[in-house]
Amino acid sequence: MQYTEALREILGGNAIFDPVEKIPYLTDASAFKGKEPIAVAVPETVDEIRRLLAFCDSNKIFVVPRGGGTSLTGASIPLDNFVVLSMAKFNRIISISPADRYATVEPGVRLDDLNEKLAEINFIYPPDPASSMAATVGGSISTNAGGLRASMYGTTKEWILGLEVVLPNGNVMTTGGRVLKRSAGYDLTALFIGAEGTLGVITKAFVKIWPKPEATGRILAYYDAIEKVGLAIKNVKSVGITPLIAEFLDRITMDSLRKAKGMSFPETASYMLILDVASTNISINVDLERTAKILRDLGPIDLSITRDPEEMARIYEARKGAYSSLLKVRKSSSQKVIIGDVVVLASELPAALKLVAAKAEELGIMVALFGHISDGNIHANIFADPDEKQSMEKEEEFQKYLGKVALEHGGSVSAEHGIGIEKKSLLLDQFDFTESRDALDIMRKIKHAIDPNGIMNRGKIFD
Amino acid sequence: MENEVGNCINCGFCETVCPTLDPAGFSLWKGARGRVIMGRKLLDETREGNPVPHISDSFYSCLDCHACLYVCPAGVNAGKVSQLSREIITTSGDRKNENPYARMIVEVTEKYGNPLGVRSRSAGWAEGIHFDGKAEYLLYTGNMFQLMPYTKNLNSARKKIGSLLSNFMASRVANHPSLIRLLSRMRDREMEQKNYGTLRNIVKLLRLSGISFSYLGEREPYPGTFIYDLGYIEKFKKYANYVYSILKESGSRKIITVDPHTYELLKNTFPLYVNNFDLEIYYYLDLVRMPSIERSEEKVVFHEPCHFVLRDPKYSKPLQVLSETTNAVLAKRSGNKTRCCGGPDELIFPELSEKASQIRYDELKNTGAKYIITACPICNVNLSKEKRTMEIADYLASKLPG
Repeated sequence: MQYTEALREILGGNAIFDPVEKIPYLTDASAFKGKEPIAVAVPETVDEIRRLLAFCDSNKIFVVPRGGGTSLTGASIPLDNFVVLSMAKFNRIISISPADRYATVEPGVRLDDLNEKLAEINFIYPPDPASSMAATVGGSISTNAGGLRASMYGTTKEWILGLEVVLPNGNVMTTGGRVLKRSAGYDLTALFIGAEGTLGVITKAFVKIWPKPEATGRILAYYDAIEKVGLAIKNVKSVGITPLIAEFLDRITMDSLRKAKGMSFPETASYMLILDVASTNISINVDLERTAKILRDLGPIDLSITRDPEEMARIYEARKGAYSSLLKVRKSSSQKVIIGDVVVLASELPAALKLVAAKAEELGIMVALFGHISDGNIHANIFADPDEKQSMEKEEEFQKYLGKVALEHGGSVSAEHGIGIEKKSLLLDQFDFTESRDALDIMRKIKHAIDPNGIMNRGKIFD
Repeated sequence: MENEVGNCINCGFCETVCPTLDPAGFSLWKGARGRVIMGRKLLDETREGNPVPHISDSFYSCLDCHACLYVCPAGVNAGKVSQLSREIITTSGDRKNENPYARMIVEVTEKYGNPLGVRSRSAGWAEGIHFDGKAEYLLYTGNMFQLMPYTKNLNSARKKIGSLLSNFMASRVANHPSLIRLLSRMRDREMEQKNYGTLRNIVKLLRLSGISFSYLGEREPYPGTFIYDLGYIEKFKKYANYVYSILKESGSRKIITVDPHTYELLKNTFPLYVNNFDLEIYYYLDLVRMPSIERSEEKVVFHEPCHFVLRDPKYSKPLQVLSETTNAVLAKRSGNKTRCCGGPDELIFPELSEKASQIRYDELKNTGAKYIITACPICNVNLSKEKRTMEIADYLASKLPG
């Protein structure tokens, strides 16, 4: 291969050239399949990354940084003429400073590992996408991941204080820093959050950490209509209660969890609401009761409260595994479950869900609905067969409609999964809908200013 | 196989617990998710009649610990994918993908009833011990403790001569199994004496518990673990029936095993391949009743064998006995998240095995315990980095009065 010798010189043994060994890098957690990369780099030092990027920049080789490989939109797969840059060896938690409320971590640290370490001092790093076991700090910054706790803590962008980044020309830059406030010109840290590796490679992150809630409790409520779930959350939030998490699941999802995890649900329930309340040891029971009363006023089919840690963990894990549980209700093994991810104004979620469900019925496709109801985030999981053209056409039509519904209800075509390859055209729809093509132009100019040769993750977010 | 790879959603959770990914330099094909992806590739190419690329190291490097199964939200077992892939490779006669060491082990086991042809030496530990004749139980060592001194030296030799030459030699032995006699002269005598001592301590503990048992001596065959694990299922079926017939000859229906690999193979796998399998399988600690001794406060860390906590997840007897005897703790990764010692890769991927065992050793050492206690000869060898690792039988015997 043309570049093998030079890449070997830069990376030594930290490079993979064998075509067979490269195969797993053609995929991530999305349905997309990439092209064989020139090489896979698994560097150990920032200097290796600097030299690699400078070389790729000079030779017009494209680079895709890879974290946990959990992207659902194809953001981490290589296309033509790519080098995959795996950050797996950048997996150290460098320091934790609870008094200053920050931790310094390398991008390859997995989110659950960081939180396991922080749990030792009763702190948390709040972003908790369902993929947190495998997802990394760098990858979740690059998609601005959300998760269940975003209801209370917001998404990743709220928790990043600063970054060390290698730019496409090989220079190293630090944005932001470790302090909780800073007013010093343009917020370059923000640029790299959600950039999906299109601007540079994150090699270190200063993340904000927070004390773990002293006490938590969980309410499970079942309703026969989505309007009641929507109203329940609206009423809870209106009286000043911010749920720690607030998740909804539809009947198909409940059935799949019953099949996959042996869980049981009331037969007549159409929707399940999982709502966590965070409080102090003294007031948790009062707060739970106060919240439960609001939920009871809407006539649930069933409602229960638990503070048992094991029971809470079981439900939490089940919700996090809801997507994979859907595989159990597929009609055939060739069928895939393609996860949609949009956000609407929380108050408009019931109306949006009704439209979405009606469209699925009109197209004659199975769609399971769950999501983060507190912030209006809908995950519409479409059962489609990649081997059947008609099935995939319907999937595409549905995704397009889902995006339209999101925009018409004050939201966005992507809530927390990013754009990747999957949502490039939906992103254009969003700019058109908001009459903001200028925003796209500015994004392109920023990209060009930082990455003039366009080597970083070309073909993702926009062309 | 279709089901296992078809259910995978590529989430990567399995990678986070896979004990080979980090030692393999984070190259994904030697991690759990990579193995499922490679399994899919193998299946596709085989189905379409295409030549299969050199893919098998992905599967042979799997330690078969099954830790991946416990974190997979879709219930996929990448270990099973590896096992089934090895089976596809061996049955297709794809020599390019078949590992020479795997073939050597299988051919030699078939010829000698022992993977290194040292069956007659494997009874050396029992010299001077008088066993009962026909007894309620049969002590079946499975040759595992006896094999370890040979594999250790074999690996040292492999490292010296390099993989190319050693693979060539393995191929030669696979074609002419009697050549194994040359290799089998190499053994670590110090380890041999240590492991003989462990087997003797097992006998001591059983006798103190009033158990009456016989022993097959030189007639005792190796159980066939490698043949099964390496994917030679048809050969394993034949071999398992052979082992079964020998065990039956003893007249005992109750078999006492002394290592988790043999225990789990006989208990869970033999019944699938031996018609009317009617033997009761015990791990020796099932039968040991420790005399009433004062519980020690000495802090020890127990390394749970994968074949107990992951492959047979309800089995917790060793930890129970140890905890009744002393202050036994577990490493951070324990229970169904335990980390394999790397041992099963020792013969085929010694460097990977060494790195995996170092990671586990550090985790165990970091508990601050005085001793690392193992309940498996493979774990014991792999985790014996310093003089702080003891097999559970030796530790328990050291606590006996007198």
